[in-house]
Parts: sequence; structure tokens; C-alpha cells
Amino acid sequence: MRDQNANNEMDELIRRKTQVEIPAEVEDRLRHRLTEFRTRVEQRPPNRWRSLAYSLTYRPPLRAMAMAAAALVAVAVGLVLIPREANASRVYAAAAQQLRNSQSLEYTFVFSELPYVGVDFSYAAPGYQRVNCSWGIEVRADHTARKQIVLMHLTRMYVVESGKQVESPANSDDWVKQLESLPPAADQVLGERQVGGKRLIGYRFVKAPDGTSIPGLKSFDLWVDAGTRQADHVDIAIEEQGKPVYQMHIRNIRVNGQVDRSLFDLTPPAGYTVITAASAEARASKTAPQQNALVLQAQIRQSVALTAVVLPMTGSYAQTQAASERVESYLKTLGVTPVGPPFGRFESVQSWDTGYPVPLATHVEAPFQLVSVPAAQIASVVVNGPWGPDSTGRWGAFLKSVVEQGYLPAGPPMEIWSGDDTKVQTQSTEMRIAVTKAN
Amino acid sequence: MNDRHLQYERLIAPIENRMMRAVWRVMRDPNDVEDAFQEALLTVWKRWDRICIHPNPQALVLQICINTAHDALRRKLRQRKWLEAGAVPEDIPDSSHSATQDISGAEQETQVLHAIGLLPKNQARAILMHAVEEVPYGDIAAAMDCRESTVRKHVARARAKLRSLLSHLIPAVHKEESSHA
Repeated sequence: MRDQNANNEMDELIRRKTQVEIPAEVEDRLRHRLTEFRTRVEQRPPNRWRSLAYSLTYRPPLRAMAMAAAALVAVAVGLVLIPREANASRVYAAAAQQLRNSQSLEYTFVFSELPYVGVDFSYAAPGYQRVNCSWGIEVRADHTARKQIVLMHLTRMYVVESGKQVESPANSDDWVKQLESLPPAADQVLGERQVGGKRLIGYRFVKAPDGTSIPGLKSFDLWVDAGTRQADHVDIAIEEQGKPVYQMHIRNIRVNGQVDRSLFDLTPPAGYTVITAASAEARASKTAPQQNALVLQAQIRQSVALTAVVLPMTGSYAQTQAASERVESYLKTLGVTPVGPPFGRFESVQSWDTGYPVPLATHVEAPFQLVSVPAAQIASVVVNGPWGPDSTGRWGAFLKSVVEQGYLPAGPPMEIWSGDDTKVQTQSTEMRIAVTKAN
Repeated sequence: MNDRHLQYERLIAPIENRMMRAVWRVMRDPNDVEDAFQEALLTVWKRWDRICIHPNPQALVLQICINTAHDALRRKLRQRKWLEAGAVPEDIPDSSHSATQDISGAEQETQVLHAIGLLPKNQARAILMHAVEEVPYGDIAAAMDCRESTVRKHVARARAKLRSLLSHLIPAVHKEESSHA
């Protein structure tokens, strides 16, 4: 709080000492400059071809000069403009072809920068896939053998599936289809950009490639390295009705690179226990005496989108209560009343957060963040009574129920805590996780 | 009414006053401000096509104005050999309470400007956009073509450096330092 005050004071000092009115005489001069600038802008030719046409229609004595100028411009256009556009098309065509014919593909799909929510994806022909989610779920699949293993690093458990068409949990393979199905030409060439010593050319698509769909797609900007002619990254803007535009990114794209084959190893790591019906029942019966009202049957439903103020955290989850109280106290100082109970999202000990749902127009300062939690298909179960220490056991049983119903986790585990802290009988915790159909 | 006219009405007309103020607040010199503003307009002119397709064109234009003004301020400081001293000039009063009271408003403004002039470019631009122009972090990031977290880091570092250079002007920091003394 002291840091926050110091920051506010520093900003206020800078603001106060710099916010001085412009003397009228100076403003007049600057306005004059703006007027000149406006005239220049409005007279700026829309493009080079039109200026050439104008020059040729002017007075006859100048026509010869205009013709010469036109010839020079034509040569310049021939040497510079057309090759550049043709070059941009060639760069795109080469990148698209590489993606279409890729034998291996790796990328990182970033849903959120801060807190980081992302998925590392690896693919190798003929049918090996690995999806590693920042919230502790990893899926390794061998489509040729129709077998996959789902590793839940948070609870050190795993599920093996086989005998059916296995799919990755985060729909990341859909993006492979998007990348492989790029149309012959982009809707718009965005121009060039220098990033990290690379010359990138941008191509915008405003609708999903044929045979694929991206709900709410506003723009899909593919940036290609002009030197290597390989896809560098993709910026995706999604606009759903009544919601602000949000950005997702595909980064670190590697096409036909050397992929570490051990990433697709279907052997469970040492110390991990398999989730089977028998083990889940045993765990349920073991934990039942302590949790009389525990409901292990996960309910699959659609969640409602919400806006929340969260405090990003790292380190032990034991800080959860203190962090939640810090958010509560901050909201009180802002005069903001939460519109729902507190919650925590536990992606990993490196990145988790806790917060409260709040009205949309709330404005917060760092380290607090205003985040949007999108609507999603979720699995949910409510545990009545105090939460207690056996979080791992509950999550194991819950995830087992999710998998048994034919779904796989597709988001970070989330807990929503309701009730009065001082009255045990009023307390309950909703365990929630985004899911996707397994087949 | 052509396309260019419409583009100007959409992109520049609503922020004309902010553009002038952005340059004036940093320059504060009637003789130099016109040149700096003209330089900013020239940059806008050169990048016009890019600005038209930028996701946040007005933040980009404001950033161009602030960049130009900050460059001009740094040039001016170099000419006066401020940077050779490597710190705020020696004639800045000490941080005792009575001394603080003696600093006139104009002197304080000059000290704040000089301190901003001593900041690295990105830090200065980020803090000016954030604290003075009150542009949201996301828009600053779009204008600076970097991540929002990077902008926040620039602002935090700028604040830290300014705090060390201007502690005698900030009541809380001043009080804290006095109590430690």
C-alpha cells in the first residue's frame, strides 16, 4: 500500500509539474502549423498511380516533362513497388506451403500474458502430439496407436486412454488445421515490421480458412519472417457480442524443426498414480468420513463470463487466504462491492491468482489486475463444509469423475469459496475446471 | 470531402489540443516548441499510412509527439552539458524541509523536466504517456509496439529513478527519509 501511495504521489508530482497551459501566443503558432499539416494531409495523393495520372493531365508545356517523370515513376514502380508486392506474395505462399506440408510443428498458444496462461504444442508426423498446459495438465498422444496419456501434474496422477480416436484437450490441434488450411492469398498485407533483427511481413485474414471455424474471429494476423519465409507468430483478435475484444497469440512457431521424440513418450513419470475406477472409489470412501457432504459426481455445464479483480501470485498456495484478504481489503478502499464470492485459480505454483468478481467498469492499479474470465464448458462440484487440508484427494476424485464422463480438463483448476468464515455450517467450496469432450 | 479529409477528422482532429499540450509540457520553451512540434508533424506525415491502419492510431500519434519532445529535451540538456554531470545539478537544494519550502514552483518544474530528461528513452516515454497523458497501459503498449508488462516495467523503473532524483519534492518520501535520518 505504501508503494502504491508512493507511486501515486510520484505520478501526481509529474502531472502537477508538467500540466501547464500553453501561452496563447505559442498556441497560435502551433495551431498554424497544424493547419498547414492538415492541408498537406488532405492534399496527399491517395496513391502513386493517381499522382502520376494528375501530372499527365496538366498544362501541355509540361506534358513532356510529365511524360519523362511518368517514365521514371513507371521504372521506379517496376523496380520497387511491384517486386515488393510480388515478393510479399511469394513469402506468404512459401510460408503457407511449409505449414501445409509440415512434418513437424511446434508453437506456444498464449491465451493470457499476465498471469501467463498458455499451451505448448508439439506435433510430429505421422500422428504424435503433445499439449502441455500452463495449468498443470499435459497430454501426450500417439494417434497411430490410438493411445494417449493425460498427466495431471498438480495431483501427480494420470489417465491412459486407448482404442478410440484420441484428441488433445485444449483444441490446440484445431489451430494446426487453421495453419495448414491457409487460403492462397491473404485478405490484406499489413506491411513490414522489424522484430528482434528479423524482417517480418504481416498478412491479415478476417475469416477462418475454408473448412475451419474460429467463433468471433475479428482478425488473424500471420507474421512471416521474410528471410527464412517461415511463419513467425500469429496475433488473433476475437470479438464476441457484448464483450470487449481480446487477443490471443501463437508464438515460437517452428516448422519442420527437430522435435524431441521423448515429448511423446506414453510412459507415466515415476511417482504418478493411475486414476482407475477402483482407486477413485477407495479414495472417496477414505475421505468420506471427513467430508460427509462431498459430492464427487462432476456436473458438466456452461459457466457465465465474469469480470474479476485478481492478485497474481507465485509460490506456496498457503498464501491463498492472505492474498484473498488483500484483494478484499483493496476493493473496500476502492469502494467496490464484489458481485460474487472469492475464488482462486491454481495454474501452478509459479502462476496462480485469487480475487473477487466485480462490476465491469472497475478500475484497478498494479499489482491488482482486472481480468475477464470467459464463459466456458466446465465441470463443477460443490463440497459443503470447511475446505480442510485434503485438497489433493478431492481434486483427484473430482478429475476422475470428469474423465469417466468422457471429458478432459482444458483449463486451470478453480475453487470458489462461499459462506461465512465464522460459521462452519455455512461454508462450501465449488471445485471447477474448464473441460472439453474427449472424443 | 476526400478520404484524406475523413482520415484527418477521425485521427487527428479530436487530439489536436492533446498533441500541442504533449509537446509543450515537455519542452516549455516558446522558441524550441514550434520546431519540436513541426518535427513531430513531419514524423506523423511520413508514417501516415501506417498510422491509418494502426490498432490505436491516436495513442501512436501522441507517442510520436512525446518522443519528439523528449528527444528535443535531451538534446537541449546535452547542449547545456547537464548529462556530463551525470546527475541532477549540484544547485538543487538539499532535502531538508525548510529548503524544500524555498524551492519555487518554477524551479520545481525545471527540476522535474531535467529529471525526465535524464531517464532512458523508453522509460521517459512510458511515464509521460502514463502519468501526464493518462493513456491506459494497453494503448501505450500498442503505440510502443511492446507488451503491456514491458510498459509497466518501464513506468516502474522511471518512477524509481525519478524518486531518487526528486525525493526532496515528494512529501511521503521526504518524510520517510527524514524519519530514518
